[in-house]
Amino acid sequence: MSGGALRLAGLTRVHGTGSAPALDGFDLEVPAGSCVAILGPSGSGKSTVLRLTAGLDEPTAGSVHLDGVDLAGVLPERRGMAMVFQRPLLFPHLSVRDNVAFADRVRGVPRRTARRRAEEFLELVQLGGYGGRPARALSGGQEQRVALARALAAEPRVLLLDEPFSALDARLREEMHELLADLRMRLDPTILLVTHDHAEADTLADRVAVLDGGRLLQAGPMRALYARPASLTVSRLLGGRTEVAGVVRDGRHESPLGSLDLPAPVPDGPAVLVVRHEAVQVTTAADPAADAVGSAVRVRPRGLRALVTVEVTGDGGTTTVDAELGPGHDVAAGGTVGLRLPAGDRWVVPVDDAADDPVADGARA
Amino acid sequence: MTAVRAVRAASRTGRTLLALWLVLPLVPLLLWAFADRWTFPAVLPQEWGTRGAEEALAAGAGGAFLTSTLLGAVVALLATPLGAMAGRALASRQVPAGTAVLAVLLSPLALPPFAVALGLDVLLLRLGVPAVGGVVVLLVVAALPYTTLTMRAAYAAHDRGFEDEARVLGATRWQTVRSVQLPLVAPALAGAAFLAFLVGWSDYIVTVLVGGGRLTTLPLLVASAASATGSDAQVAILSLTSILPPVALLLVVGSLGRRRR
Amino acid sequence: MTSTRRRPGPRGRAVLLVLPALVPVVAVVGAALTSAALLSLGLAPLVGEPRLSLDAYRDAAGDLGTGIGLSLGIAAAATFVATVVGLCLALAATAAVRRSRLLGALAALTIPIPHLVGAAAMGLLLADAGFLARLLGVDPSSWPPLVGGPLWAAVVAEYAWKESAFVALVVAGVLSSRAASYGETAALLGAGRWARLRHVTLPLAAPALGGAAAVSFVYTLGSYEVAALLGRAHPEPLPVLAYRLFTSIDLAARPQAAAVALTTAGLALVVVLLSLRALRRLAAER
Repeated sequence: MSGGALRLAGLTRVHGTGSAPALDGFDLEVPAGSCVAILGPSGSGKSTVLRLTAGLDEPTAGSVHLDGVDLAGVLPERRGMAMVFQRPLLFPHLSVRDNVAFADRVRGVPRRTARRRAEEFLELVQLGGYGGRPARALSGGQEQRVALARALAAEPRVLLLDEPFSALDARLREEMHELLADLRMRLDPTILLVTHDHAEADTLADRVAVLDGGRLLQAGPMRALYARPASLTVSRLLGGRTEVAGVVRDGRHESPLGSLDLPAPVPDGPAVLVVRHEAVQVTTAADPAADAVGSAVRVRPRGLRALVTVEVTGDGGTTTVDAELGPGHDVAAGGTVGLRLPAGDRWVVPVDDAADDPVADGARA
Repeated sequence: MTAVRAVRAASRTGRTLLALWLVLPLVPLLLWAFADRWTFPAVLPQEWGTRGAEEALAAGAGGAFLTSTLLGAVVALLATPLGAMAGRALASRQVPAGTAVLAVLLSPLALPPFAVALGLDVLLLRLGVPAVGGVVVLLVVAALPYTTLTMRAAYAAHDRGFEDEARVLGATRWQTVRSVQLPLVAPALAGAAFLAFLVGWSDYIVTVLVGGGRLTTLPLLVASAASATGSDAQVAILSLTSILPPVALLLVVGSLGRRRR
Repeated sequence: MTSTRRRPGPRGRAVLLVLPALVPVVAVVGAALTSAALLSLGLAPLVGEPRLSLDAYRDAAGDLGTGIGLSLGIAAAATFVATVVGLCLALAATAAVRRSRLLGALAALTIPIPHLVGAAAMGLLLADAGFLARLLGVDPSSWPPLVGGPLWAAVVAEYAWKESAFVALVVAGVLSSRAASYGETAALLGAGRWARLRHVTLPLAAPALGGAAAVSFVYTLGSYEVAALLGRAHPEPLPVLAYRLFTSIDLAARPQAAAVALTTAGLALVVVLLSLRALRRLAAER
């Protein structure tokens, strides 16, 4: 199985006349054999993209192209796609094997052949020998694997995944991530994945498209988006925590943190400095290389690492910076620390109306 | 401790009374059905036998049983798919003025069947509709509220995701209905068909008013035997014959529903 | 470009799906009511010229008056007993401790019994030489006239018996799915047996109980065969009156039959609307 190239152009979907579009002029390229993630909060329209792509709903405007062919008016069953939903949706009246054999059966493949192939796909998701069980006799993780096997057995040119792992617990989710990576190497499918979890998008996808309120905010490789989000909204959807309001003057960002060099030229004016907490280094207050000094107001353990919120008071007010401590590194709440913000990791975004006074909002979860 | 015991005793007495309430009316039916002689004031029949059954057969119970079965089956066969389609549409909330449409579909529940039959009888005669056809149409309309309600509830609980999944996996609309939707709502379909069968099987007044003597069903025989004197055994055996098939069907439908769950 | 082949949208499909059921219902109900109305108003006489008149209603007025009272009385009595007994059955069948599966099963098995058969059974049970009289050892001469008597006891008993099973199933359906968990929560909050019944179970059951009672009432109001079999010749409840007039040799009685039928239908409709309003108010109180 090798995937096809998918192109979405200007996809728009308005549910009822007068209501705001669920999706507004969405463009996306999914090259053959790649995995692209659509990242967005609930209600952002990301599931709508998949339903339009699959042909389950018709777009109000725009088009879906597969290997250069416009799929307008093509019924869902003839699009050569397969979809895995958040709920496994295993047909309860069929055995596990017959669920996986479903696509073959509805295409008229003889039962014996379809079942043999189903067993192969069950092996592929490490569920060989489960074929005879009733679909309801599986655990959540197993159900989702069968759903994946069933979709793969349809030999889709594009595999659509609609938050397929978000109902699973953390360990099962990680197992599924590894399984999917393994399947990608073996089968080279084209995958369009929808998720609200930026870490999942980072793990699974080559490229990410960030969607909010039915509009595409930014698209690109995950690393690029982490480092250079286009807006505060994108930064927040990607888990960005530090937002320092200030003003850009002559290529420097001036804020309570002081005047900081920016790696790229930026026009003058008000702008918010964003820095990934993973990039910020916590040192001592006496460190001469520290860009700012402040007091640790909050320390939250996260496994071996800890996340510390540092309050910095400087020209024009007080701001907070979040930083991730290295393994074993610890800071006492209330202590004074120094912060290094590596020049390459500084980034400014425009002050947008989505920002409700981020400076005062230091306790953002 | 004694209070608990008193409550328990009261609850046991209450349950016994409730069970008696449900069962007692059926006891004389069972006894009379096989009584050849049972004169007052004997509590149990003096002679057991099959006189009632013989009388019932002579009165045409065999043919009436067949007619009733056929009538119930035809009503179920027509009202179930119609109700399923309407229930599906109403559950999807896509029907314009859905509440009004539902109210119209349920209106036969509120209207006295004799009033509808009586009003339609004259019209059917003038239009030259055959009596049997008229009875079937009226009973299908009387059964539609039950099948529509049952199937609407089933489709409301039904997850459309299964059908989306089937479509994406390559099943056509019709294949999806056949291989996914219908199996998933099969227990509800069986329940709806059972209710529709009951409407046809138990009807008396529509058959009498519109049937014009063309249809002799079991209820008609029961009524004529019950309004005559001295045929208690025949009444009992005819009544039992009218109860057993639907009860057996109920057990089958019930076990179907349980296995699916 | 949108599809060139026009497929009906979801709304169109829904309309197409609902029409096969809607058309016969509208046709039958509409035609029946219209035809009955025309007949009762003298606009569709079997003989003679059509002439708008209220004669049929005027001629039937006396019987109609007593019929309305009698029918409402029978329906009210039967529904009251059915509701009380049905609620008890439902409570016993869904109780958290010592749940009675037997009562639930017996109630379910009573549902498919035709009313006519129920009437025949009640006749065998309650007649003056019936099974109950034999069980209690009462002589026919001193046995109260339950069948065909002035109090319509056998008729009420039959409807109450059958409909109690219906009420029980409807209410038990609601209670079994919801009451157990609420009851447990209430018990943890310190509510005793009666407090749970009063503050949790009954309010949960109330809408279903009210709905089932309304359905029973309307059914009893419009049902013919039980009253015909177990009642007395005079006075007559509405369905029996209509049937007698309709099957009378005197063709002039037909419009009166239609008038009685329409009156009953109107009465049923009023009951339905009143109970819908009451149920809505009940729901609004929550």
